[in-house]
Amino acid sequence: MDVKKILLVDDDIDLLEQNKVLLESRGYKVITAENGAKGWEAFQKENPNVAIIDLIMEEMDSGFILCHRIKKSNPNVPVFIITSAPYTTGFKFSASTNEEKEWLKCDEILNKPVVIDELIAKLKNM
Amino acid sequence: MDEKSKILIVDDENGLRLGTERLLEEEGYYVESAPNGNEGIRLGKSKEFDVAIIDLKMPDVDGLTVLKEIKSVHPNTVCFIATAFASYETAIESTRLGAFGYIPKPFSPEEIIYQIEQGINQRKLILESERLKKEREENLLELANEKSRLNAIIKSINDGILVINKNAELVYYNYAALKFLDLAEIELGSKILNILPEKVVKTVNKLFYSETFHLKSYSQQIELKPNNQLIVEFSTTPIPNSDGSLAGVVLIISNITEYKKIELLKSQFVSMVAHELKAPLAAVQGYLNIMIDKSIQLSPEKQEDYLKRSLTRLKGLTDLVNDLLDISRIELNTKQREIEQIDIREIIENSFQFFELDIKKKNISIETHLDENIPAINADYNEITRVVTNLLSNAIKYNNTNGKIEIELYKSHNYLILKISDTGIGLKPEEKTKLFNEFYRAKNEMTHGISGTGLGLSIVKIIVDSYHGKIEVESEFGKGTTFIINLPINIK
Repeated sequence: MDVKKILLVDDDIDLLEQNKVLLESRGYKVITAENGAKGWEAFQKENPNVAIIDLIMEEMDSGFILCHRIKKSNPNVPVFIITSAPYTTGFKFSASTNEEKEWLKCDEILNKPVVIDELIAKLKNM
Repeated sequence: MDEKSKILIVDDENGLRLGTERLLEEEGYYVESAPNGNEGIRLGKSKEFDVAIIDLKMPDVDGLTVLKEIKSVHPNTVCFIATAFASYETAIESTRLGAFGYIPKPFSPEEIIYQIEQGINQRKLILESERLKKEREENLLELANEKSRLNAIIKSINDGILVINKNAELVYYNYAALKFLDLAEIELGSKILNILPEKVVKTVNKLFYSETFHLKSYSQQIELKPNNQLIVEFSTTPIPNSDGSLAGVVLIISNITEYKKIELLKSQFVSMVAHELKAPLAAVQGYLNIMIDKSIQLSPEKQEDYLKRSLTRLKGLTDLVNDLLDISRIELNTKQREIEQIDIREIIENSFQFFELDIKKKNISIETHLDENIPAINADYNEITRVVTNLLSNAIKYNNTNGKIEIELYKSHNYLILKISDTGIGLKPEEKTKLFNEFYRAKNEMTHGISGTGLGLSIVKIIVDSYHGKIEVESEFGKGTTFIINLPINIK
């Protein structure tokens, strides 16, 4: 799949800006949103090829909800979750098996802060 | 002997009786005498003599009867039977009745003095042995009391105690142990290992089956009821015999549920702090990485913007560290409080000056109702300032542009009441309950872009609590919030 357009959703405006600049420097087109509601709006409007979503935003589960909405409306769009939940909650989860991917409604889970080369490698794998 | 020894002489022969009486008095004894058997019985019973010399043959009552009668009341009076008609049978009979010796008549002064001395020594021995016997009985009684007291203490200890002998039989327990094991009763001597947690049984068996053992305790933490309802620590300690072999083990069961809960809270707090510290660091690191990345071209404006954002995040980090230090200082009591007479009105006025710029920027109007007759209170100036500035800072931060802040200060009974109200974004009901939790920040569509450490209100609450005060919050989402502080006036 030729990934060109990425939707980035994160409520940390600094990380959002940084990931946007980094991805743009690698040739991607990036749309950003600061919360779940705006993310959903942007997804419908812009039809991105991939969505990268922060798990915990204004509400504890707003990342999950957005993932669910995106996968329900277009199951073919890969969704990445970025999170620091394992550090704060000690609750570890992964999306390595198909069952986990199905249950979490996402294709990859990346720890925050995102290592850009790791992210690019995953994007190229899509 | 401190007191004179008391001697009783019972004899119907006047001459002998009076002669002996005089002789013994000269020797330093206290002497009483009776001329016949009946008088002898009366005297001998009326007080306890140390020694009695009783003539065997008397017209009214014979000496053996007198002996028997005196012994019935004073068994420890040492009695001699004196007689000219010494016979084997009377000697046996008088000894049987408790006579100490037999004095043949007539006797010489030396003889009688020697016998009396023997009698007095015997009397001393009897009294000493009586004393020891009594003492021993008292000791035994004390021991029994001690034992039952110890028993009562052990039974009422909150920790469970089980003592198991080498045959794995229960030999001692207390009620707390039953409670922990959820048993209504348990029989002494019963095999107990099968009802104990597996891990504990392993430890006990290891002690039972190993050749040698060390006198130390083995502790194991065990969840007796799921979901952290009951966590206990079993501490197993060997009991040695006097020859060094193993007699059994004692198990102490302690409830550590609360301790574990605190431990969990502590580690949650540490990981929350770590996360809160990491987020701004990651943001700054991210900007710096982009700025040194030669493949990314940034305009000078962008570069300046990134540096400014980095500074903002670093300032947030510094604020956070300062807040954390404040919390630990207050909670650990490491900060010396400087209690002085302070005027809260002055603190409020000063705080307005401190936030002047922010107030102007948002065009917020301030309305104050500060009671003139508010007494000064004894408190730490910096701590009360912290309470006022943290609340005021929130009232500005979460207020709308052109909003209003109202501050009211008055006295009610023995309390100072400070109310700070804003016309800001307000709180949802579920947010109100979490408001004073460390790092809790209301996150919703309206708080976006408002920075803070999430510790401001925690600090306010810790300070107010430490003065035995109270903090309350009233709020309506979208309309505004009021914080009400009650501080006792005679605070120390």
